[in-house]
Amino acid sequence: MKIMIDAREVMAYPGETILEVCRRENIFIPTLCYHPAFKGQGACRMCMVEIIDSSGQKRLVASCTYPVSDGLKVITSSEKIKKTRKTLAMLIAGRSQASPFAQEIAEEYKVKPLFFKGFENEKCILCRLCINACEEMGSAVLAAVSRGVDKRIETPYAEGAEECIGCKACAEICPTGAIEVKEENGQRIIWHKTFDLIKCANCGKEFATPEQIKFIEDKTGRKMEKFLCEGCRKRQTAEVIKEFSV
Amino acid sequence: MVKAADEGKMLADIREILDNYPPEERYILAVMQDMQKRFNYLPKAGLKTLAFYVGVPLSRVYAMASFYKAFSLTPKGQYVFRVCDGTACHIKGSKILIEQLYKCLGIRPGETTPDGRFSIETVNCLGACALAPVVVVNDRVYAKVIPGDVEKIIREYGGYAHEGKNED
Amino acid sequence: MKEKMKIESSVNKVMVCCGTGCTANGARQVLAAFMDKLRDNPNFEVVPVLKATGCNGWCEKGPIVKIMPQDISYCHVKAEDVDEIIDRTLLKGEPVKRLLYRDPVKKEFVTSIHQTDFYRKQHKIALRNIGEIDPGSIDDYIERGGYKALKKVLKEMTPDEVIEEILKSGLRGRGGGGFPTGLKWQACKNTPRFPKYIICNGDEGDPGAFMDRSVMEGDPHTIIEGMLICAYVLKAERGFIYVRDEYDLAVKYLRQAILDAREHGFLGENILKSDLRFDIELVRGGGAFVCGEETALIKSIEGYPGEPHDKYVFPTEKGLWGQPTVINNVETWANIPVIILDGAEKFASLGTVGSPGTKVFSLVGKVVNTGLVEVPMGITLREIIYDIGGGVPEGRQFKAVQTGGPSGGCIPASHLDLKVDFDTLTREGSMMGSGGIIVMDDTTCMVEVARYYTNFLAGESCGKCTPCREGIRALVEILTRICKGEGELSDLQLLRDISEVMQEASLCALGRTAPNPVLSTLRFFEDEYIAHIVEKRCPAGVCPALTTFYIDPELCTGCTLCKRNCPVDAIKGEAKKKHEIIEDKCIRCGECYRRCRFKAVKVR
Ligand SMILES: Cc1cc2nc3c(=O)[nH]c(=O)nc-3n(C[C@H](O)[C@H](O)[C@H](O)COP(=O)(O)O)c2cc1C
Ligand code: SF4
Ligand code: SF4
Ligand code: SF4
Ligand code: SF4
Ligand code: FES
Ligand code: FES
Ligand code: FES
Repeated sequence: MKIMIDAREVMAYPGETILEVCRRENIFIPTLCYHPAFKGQGACRMCMVEIIDSSGQKRLVASCTYPVSDGLKVITSSEKIKKTRKTLAMLIAGRSQASPFAQEIAEEYKVKPLFFKGFENEKCILCRLCINACEEMGSAVLAAVSRGVDKRIETPYAEGAEECIGCKACAEICPTGAIEVKEENGQRIIWHKTFDLIKCANCGKEFATPEQIKFIEDKTGRKMEKFLCEGCRKRQTAEVIKEFSV
Repeated sequence: MVKAADEGKMLADIREILDNYPPEERYILAVMQDMQKRFNYLPKAGLKTLAFYVGVPLSRVYAMASFYKAFSLTPKGQYVFRVCDGTACHIKGSKILIEQLYKCLGIRPGETTPDGRFSIETVNCLGACALAPVVVVNDRVYAKVIPGDVEKIIREYGGYAHEGKNED
Repeated sequence: MKEKMKIESSVNKVMVCCGTGCTANGARQVLAAFMDKLRDNPNFEVVPVLKATGCNGWCEKGPIVKIMPQDISYCHVKAEDVDEIIDRTLLKGEPVKRLLYRDPVKKEFVTSIHQTDFYRKQHKIALRNIGEIDPGSIDDYIERGGYKALKKVLKEMTPDEVIEEILKSGLRGRGGGGFPTGLKWQACKNTPRFPKYIICNGDEGDPGAFMDRSVMEGDPHTIIEGMLICAYVLKAERGFIYVRDEYDLAVKYLRQAILDAREHGFLGENILKSDLRFDIELVRGGGAFVCGEETALIKSIEGYPGEPHDKYVFPTEKGLWGQPTVINNVETWANIPVIILDGAEKFASLGTVGSPGTKVFSLVGKVVNTGLVEVPMGITLREIIYDIGGGVPEGRQFKAVQTGGPSGGCIPASHLDLKVDFDTLTREGSMMGSGGIIVMDDTTCMVEVARYYTNFLAGESCGKCTPCREGIRALVEILTRICKGEGELSDLQLLRDISEVMQEASLCALGRTAPNPVLSTLRFFEDEYIAHIVEKRCPAGVCPALTTFYIDPELCTGCTLCKRNCPVDAIKGEAKKKHEIIEDKCIRCGECYRRCRFKAVKVR
């Protein structure tokens, strides 16, 4: 099917969202809670765009959840959209006061954050990407706890969870650095839990937890012979390929 | 804290509640309601068993327990003062009643006195707006409560005013 | 059957209101006294029938006891009064005067509550049976024409004819949105996927409103019948009633009603010997206002936290478990059987063109008669508040009326002649909501009211999307500082800017309507905001930081009323002498201010 984005006609497929089409077409839309690996959540509302319905009425919708339909007309930039994003930036930076990432958003949109009381040390913007990542990994340890203005990301009972394998996938996807990971003396501390770290057989870098290795082994059903960190694995793979190509 | 015998009883109770429902996700809420009624809170063992029973991560069950207002993750007091702060009660002075309770018991809504006797909660509307402001203690309804009544009501349950010694 | 009915109608019926309000006032004790004293009473040839009914809507006058067929109503009945009622009314047929309602203006006793001003302007459709039947008895419901509408559609109407009839009636959803019910059913019917589900939304989380509760606990079968008619239209086989668990009585009677309906063959297989099969499950909600929002409610039934999601695809297409689903409000369901039986024309002849029929409102706050009223749409706010509600009590001044629940708006005195229907209220920056009407007088501070509602929503928002969660946080923070006297004039623009984005960008209607209380009070009562910000004064005497009470010695009669009601002994003075407030001790509760009959307590 065909849809119109900013007066440009583009191809779209049933089941796609506006955002997915835009990404493919290299049309920039800011997002905070979207990651291509997961379904759109519609939580941060940064990705709002305008659509024009059949009667000519304009309406703001979240592009990461709005499904395309034939003939859809989308506007990705307008005064209204700008104002919306500006106000959202003001609120996000007002909440996430300790995160440079959030402060930069406010600078980018040229707004003064509305600093909330009691949020001086807050980093999290509640994008929930960490929850998605952990769920995707298969551990599903993290939860959006409580509701309303008290919403926060936690493990149940704010204690180390049995299922957590210390993979830090959550911390890696987190845009704000809100998830604390401490690595020292051959150990990793994350989400109230301490893990031993295994050294890379090649470079000696501490790179994974035994729980993580076991998790991968259980999942793939194969025992790992050699523990290699990501960098070394890439390098060695490259060498293998080179050998083949000779 | 919890004695072994109590714990055994609790686990038996949990099992009994679970036995009433098939292991399906849509009964999580119902099971939690029953547990809350039985134990006055949702015990950790209960949530863990429930998560295992229906086959969902504990994080999901925990998120639900903390989302819905009917549930509490810590034991509630023996006497729960539910102060209606619905609109009808609010404009007839429920806020002052909450302040008076704080003065007398030293706790705010959502808290329990250290001795485990009293808890305060606010509720949205008890459906008795014509009798505003309304306070319910366990199952007893107090209608058209004025600030001066608060101390009297607490005394009825063996509490004394200025229990929390909060003068400010 | 005929024979039995004839005897019944000549026999006295004693109907004790046992709705939530009357129960709180001691109705159960009255009921027990009647039971005790009527049982094996040798003075009767035929012992009167005793019934516990649902809410008569006038809880303030409760416990209410009605005697039929004479149609005598007693107010504030106590267990001690039962002997006298039995003796004089049931045996001798005369009313007990002191228990009758006395019209405060005409000073006359009124025998039946149906003749009072409170009831006369009402027109009952959704509430037609409530107070007249025992909600625990399916026979009572059938006796008043219950399940006839179901029989009619099964025998005489095709599904499309039913939809046609509902469309013609113009019925719009009573849960707040006002979406045409016929269109919703049609959309779901046209979705060619099965199974389909039907949901009754009985979450009713509005603070200060209890319309749906009274239907669920006073006439549960009407909901079941409404859902059955829809099941016939959609060929749906399963329905769910989502009800707040705190509503003990509603849960009890709904449960009973489902069991009885199964037993009578109204639920289950081959309903009334047709090929309709349908059953209903009760789902007890966990206490979350946002779960009234339909996508959140669906999540909640599925066993998740009640977080809404974008509704770009409607539940009629993708609802419960991804299947086509019709979800309607309790009161909407209660209207269905009547429309089918009496016809769409009759229904549409009531109310306005855009909003036909009646609406149930819960009228509370600073008004003489508080309670539930069902009135034709298009009635003015003035009629509701003054003619039915009897106006503002204690000689206070009317200030505003709030409609539409926590995200509704406040309407000032100058707009009292507004017609109450979906479109008019929305145009004025408020909304119909589910039907709460809260009357406020000059002792209500509009800034504090805005803060109260916003703060309520702060705890009730699901917290998923940024504009709602952080926007509400911002509004509360700003309003709180204004109430404390720390606001600035620039705050008013900030409130407006944030509100605008919340309205446009929030994920669900909770966030989109959350700024209504702020915007409507800003629009009509900006002067109060300015008094707080510039003059550091709360004109209503509510915000403690900005209020000082004093007693005007000219007006004080020394009646001691204030002194007796002060919770902290902050008033000194002897009987018949001037009283005085000790400012240091005073906690600014306003009790003396509201109570003084001579308006001697003043706000500085
Ligand atoms: C925050 C919020 C709360 C709501 N609460 C209720 C409620 O308590 N009861 C209800 O019937 N509808 C409620 N609604 C409206 C429902 O989402 C839905 O529109 C309604 O149940 C549809 O039924 P109707 O068409 O019969 O009105 C609420 C909506 C929102 C946004
Ligand atoms: S470190 Fe733990 S919480 Fe984080 S993604 Fe891995 S398993 Fe989940
Ligand atoms: S911790 Fe990081 S990833 Fe998780 S919600 Fe907060 S900001 Fe997003
Ligand atoms: S608008 Fe509020 S209640 Fe609705 S999804 Fe967003 S945070 Fe949740
Ligand atoms: S405002 Fe309240 S505390 Fe102050 S004098 Fe009046 S009754 Fe007493
Ligand atoms: S990216 Fe669409 S709402 Fe966050
Ligand atoms: S507002 Fe308190 S009972 Fe309704
Ligand atoms: S409960 Fe009896 S009149 Fe409302």
